[in-house]
Amino acid sequence: MLPASLGRTCLGRWLLAPRRCALLGTGTGAGTGTGSCLRWRHRPPLLLRPARQSIGTQAGGLRAEKYGDNSKDVSVQRARNEETLLSAAQKVKEAGRDFTYFIVVLVGIGVTGGLFYVIFKELFSSSSPNKIYGDALEKCRSHPQIIGAFGDSIKGYGEATRRGRRQHVSHIEYVKDGLKHMRLKFYIEGTESGKQGTVHVEVKENPETGRFEVRYIFVDVDTYPRRTIVVEDNR
Amino acid sequence: PQGVSHRLRGSLRAVRSRAPQLGGSFAVWGGLFSMIDCSMVRVRGKEDPWNSITSGALTGAILAARNGPVAMVGSAAMGGILLALIEGAGILLTRFASTQFPNGPQLSEDPSQLQPPPFSNYQQYQ
Repeated sequence: MLPASLGRTCLGRWLLAPRRCALLGTGTGAGTGTGSCLRWRHRPPLLLRPARQSIGTQAGGLRAEKYGDNSKDVSVQRARNEETLLSAAQKVKEAGRDFTYFIVVLVGIGVTGGLFYVIFKELFSSSSPNKIYGDALEKCRSHPQIIGAFGDSIKGYGEATRRGRRQHVSHIEYVKDGLKHMRLKFYIEGTESGKQGTVHVEVKENPETGRFEVRYIFVDVDTYPRRTIVVEDNR
Repeated sequence: PQGVSHRLRGSLRAVRSRAPQLGGSFAVWGGLFSMIDCSMVRVRGKEDPWNSITSGALTGAILAARNGPVAMVGSAAMGGILLALIEGAGILLTRFASTQFPNGPQLSEDPSQLQPPPFSNYQQYQ
């Protein structure tokens, strides 16, 4: 209460000073006011409002803090009492819940990591059927006989799934004479009068480099006249 | 609010108010993705998982175009990664389903469409 009352008297002096300074007020109190009024003449309107506000809030804040301190004390005491009530059973429950959440997070990360690994191997490894299909398609596109039979722009696709997407290329891996072989089959289509063909590719693993090398590529033309074009033969 | 009927009514109200907006954003995402996917298949001429991943990235980038280039890159990365995960799941499923049938055709000799190897006569003469 004391600082608030002091603030109010100072405020009062500031409020009255601009009115009285012209009158050359009497008394020592007003004398200091006149001394200061020359300085403060232009500034009081700006200073008064925030000062009033700050004093008001300070007084209110002091009161609120006192109450808040009481409530804080009460709440701290209450929390301390409650902590001792958290018995072993509650702690075990909390730990169990945290553990299950942790397990769920781990499972999620494992599944996501597995999916990333699969897609990485499928797209970037040189021994994936998709890569071999891409290389074989490029070779077919640049072969003059195929261009003559099918036209300029050749589309390639694999097996059709139920949704109509044809991204899956049918392939079979087998081991022969200790080396891995893989056979692929995909379809190509040209612009010329709906000509369709089936491409069969076989690759063999090269034991030194570990990569797959093409053993043969040949194309079956499905539409009439049926014939077989051999693109590459390295047997 | 307590009570099942209150909650049901509240959820129905929320569904009615939010459904057009949510459905619209899903439709925009899906429509844009399919458009870009089909265009890529036509342009590239072959069907690949790469098409889906690039389509997802481009869709994310286009839908975040209002928020500047940095947001576009982030959204593109998110879309691409999401579609890569979906593609990986699809590939896993097809591989898993194909291994369910253990008996494939026994392939020990080369297909009949191929002529006998061109250099076999040469080797015989040696």
